Amino acid sequence: MKRRNLLLSGVGLAGALIVGWGALPARSRLGSGNLWPQDLADTSIALNGWIKITPDGGVVLAMARSEMGQGVHTALSMLVAEELDVPLGRVVLAQAGSDAIYGNVAMLVNGLAFHPSELQQGDKPAATKVRLNQWLVGKVARELGIHVTGGSSSIADAWQPLRLAAATARGSLLGAASLAWKLPVAELTVKNGVISHASGPSGHYGQFARYAASTPPGNVRLKPRKDWALIGQSTPRKDVPAKVNGTATFGLDVRLPGMLYAAVRLCPMLGGSPGALNANVALAMPGVVRLVPLQAWAGSTAGFAVVAKTWWHAQRAAQAVPVDWRQRPAGALDSRAIEKNLLSSLVQEPGHIFHEQGDVDAAEAAASRKLEATYSAPFLAHATLEPMNCTAQVADGKVHIWVPGQVPQIAAAVAARVAGVAQEDVTVTVTLLGGGFGRRLEVDFVAQAVRVAMDCGGQPVQLIWSREEDMTHDFYRPMAVARLRAALDAQGSVSSLSIQSAGDAISPRWFERAATALSSPFDMPDKTTAEGLFNLPYAFAHQKMAHAATRMSVPVGYWRSVGHSQNAFFSEGFMDELALAVGQDPLAFRRSLLRHLPRYLAVLNLAAAKAGWGNALPAGQARGIALHESFGSVVAQVAVVSLDGKLPRVHRVVCAIDCGTVVNPAIVAQQMEGAVVFALSAALFGRIDIHDGVVQQKNFTAYPMLKLAQTPQVDTFFVSSQAPPGGVGEPGVPPLAPAVANALYQLTGKRQRALPFVL
Amino acid sequence: MESSVPLNINGKTLHVMVDPAMPLLWVLRDVLNMTGTKFGCGVAECGACTVKVDGRALRSCVTPVSSLVGKRIQTIEALGRPDKPHPLQLAWIAEQVPQCGYCQSGMLMAASALLDKTPKPTDADIDAAMTNICRCGTYQRIRVAIKRAAGVLPKKDGRGDGPPQARPAPLGGSAAHKVTSVGARPT
Repeated sequence: MKRRNLLLSGVGLAGALIVGWGALPARSRLGSGNLWPQDLADTSIALNGWIKITPDGGVVLAMARSEMGQGVHTALSMLVAEELDVPLGRVVLAQAGSDAIYGNVAMLVNGLAFHPSELQQGDKPAATKVRLNQWLVGKVARELGIHVTGGSSSIADAWQPLRLAAATARGSLLGAASLAWKLPVAELTVKNGVISHASGPSGHYGQFARYAASTPPGNVRLKPRKDWALIGQSTPRKDVPAKVNGTATFGLDVRLPGMLYAAVRLCPMLGGSPGALNANVALAMPGVVRLVPLQAWAGSTAGFAVVAKTWWHAQRAAQAVPVDWRQRPAGALDSRAIEKNLLSSLVQEPGHIFHEQGDVDAAEAAASRKLEATYSAPFLAHATLEPMNCTAQVADGKVHIWVPGQVPQIAAAVAARVAGVAQEDVTVTVTLLGGGFGRRLEVDFVAQAVRVAMDCGGQPVQLIWSREEDMTHDFYRPMAVARLRAALDAQGSVSSLSIQSAGDAISPRWFERAATALSSPFDMPDKTTAEGLFNLPYAFAHQKMAHAATRMSVPVGYWRSVGHSQNAFFSEGFMDELALAVGQDPLAFRRSLLRHLPRYLAVLNLAAAKAGWGNALPAGQARGIALHESFGSVVAQVAVVSLDGKLPRVHRVVCAIDCGTVVNPAIVAQQMEGAVVFALSAALFGRIDIHDGVVQQKNFTAYPMLKLAQTPQVDTFFVSSQAPPGGVGEPGVPPLAPAVANALYQLTGKRQRALPFVL
Repeated sequence: MESSVPLNINGKTLHVMVDPAMPLLWVLRDVLNMTGTKFGCGVAECGACTVKVDGRALRSCVTPVSSLVGKRIQTIEALGRPDKPHPLQLAWIAEQVPQCGYCQSGMLMAASALLDKTPKPTDADIDAAMTNICRCGTYQRIRVAIKRAAGVLPKKDGRGDGPPQARPAPLGGSAAHKVTSVGARPT
């Protein structure tokens, strides 16, 4: 069995450097109290980089992750409340500083390309390789310290360091009480943030915080699983009350004295630019302050912004400006031409082999029968409900930005670059995000806001994209195609699976435009576009998966569940085709190929059992099933579907998940419900077409979203696990489209091999 | 050109110096700094900007303020009071509806208009009235929360019966997720 070892080949470049440095132990992520911003009015006491104690015994948690609906502010607070034994309500959040301890290590480690068989217990050489790679990348990630909310990684990343920070703080607080009372620390107990001793003394954390800051924590141990009071409980979210009365502050809700508003108008042709434009038309309109040309910052398309006293005035004036738009020099982009090119690159470009085992060629040569199918998926927009926006103020060589973003440091870096100041002179305030889904891993709108603010004489300016700009200037989920081929042996069993896919790489383009300093001069194989195809769990004896990374020049980005979002549709649709070909029930067929991976099998079985797989359904309804691993979690879904005229009608989705240890089951269930709706919108309606460089879908009228009346009942079930937490924000998305497609085949006899569905 | 437009917002008459053609959304947000009402699409498609006018749901992003003179405008800021939340707000909390939360002001105003007209809505009533977009996909919980607020939630496990009180709701609400075997709690 030979496997291409993606990481080590890449890291080989810097291997010599890493050998010496790599021998050092990973640096602690505890951090010291001086990482908190200095504030003389602040009466709370910092015990480490994560935890401060207020005079009344409350806990302040340094928050370095963005809340975009996934419940991360609640879940991370729960980890801290658990270890400190305080009620969840006593944990308040403060935006973390910029230190590397808050960087996301798990997201980079999860970016490694392993095959499920390598992650199984028992395969020693594989386990060693996995551990070595994870350790190495973990060290690199720790040094880089990138603050990023993405890749469904926040809980996995915080799981050890955050609980450890809270437990360490608790140790010091107990130590301080022990010294003050001259009582053994082992005899002290904590309940609701109050330390007490059976002999009488009692006091809350606030009374010991000052001494605790200089008291060693003693022997720090994490609370054993059996003592958890919060972790594993469906605890209400902290952010909900403000989200039902209009007081929650999103980026668009920032209000500052003297604030102006800016509307943008970017060249409608992607990559194009404005030629001559008549600014006077805008300047003559009421309420307008100025027009600011915008170059193609951070991967965006060039255009201009109009600044006015309200956004309505700005937008009206921006629309009125006559502009001679110029097509990009390399020629107009066209999604039909791109699809053709992708299909031909399937044949012509071998691509990078991500996984290979056995001998596919020999198996195909000996086949009694072969099956081949080509699948495709279109470009997609993120369409967060809160359009792209950023508020910026540039005054006295300092920049302050208020941004609903997933990458605050990268936003600061681009702001510094645009304004020509040092990054230390940029202050970033992260607001709540009205949806993220990967769109807010970009910083194009940040650069624009800073550029506009530079011309506003120190006044703050809130730059807001219209829905039309948001939809036509996104970083799209890349169009992708795949050819899947299976060989059946003389006994009629599937002996080999060979997959060739093609599509633009995302990560190299993202580094180029957003994290330029970390960008590589050449493209390394990008796991994010091949994930979910090269790491299929099924035990076919002979397998080969190769992906050709193309460069079609459409701006592409990370879209909730990234490559998995289309690759699960390809692979699980084809699995149904294979089940049919070998005359097996789709569930039984999958089961027979998963005996070596009990984790996958358990999830599949739970979904099937809860859905009553095999039981009769009302006439006109059918079930489809799909299974997919992503971001460390395995999800199976069973969809019950009927036909409602020209549209599929999904009645119910049973969702089973193994996401390791569950921190808050209610939030996981929410994420599964949301993922189903997100994926179903894409499967039924989602496509972005580009003609003559122009995105054709400009608003929700042409790029529809599922609405309440079309929403299926989603029931979520958990497979019990004591493994460390996996992701939950994205893993619910990938299995939905194939589950529905497989049900549709039962109803129509037509195999859905392209998204969105066409009946 | 700008003129003084009298607007009855949340029970108070304000004389706002604006262009009468300006949509209510931007008068609320950028002139009055009432940011609870959200901008989503600008074409009355997503409903993030929903307010109530004379008790009916209205998409404020395409409604010029000149058309609202003499009418009663209600926004999310006045749906309930901090000391006395609206039953829908309590139900939204009990069912843990919001994710990102951006659409929820509009959703609540649309739901409030529904209950004003149809105090005991059926599923079909809810389907017809709730046409706003939630990109996070909270629809399933919105349906249950409306029923909870309306007191039409089917009795289940002895809860979810009647309008919500200002007491803590059952954790996780009555939405349909089932925690069968969460590994975190071996008991």
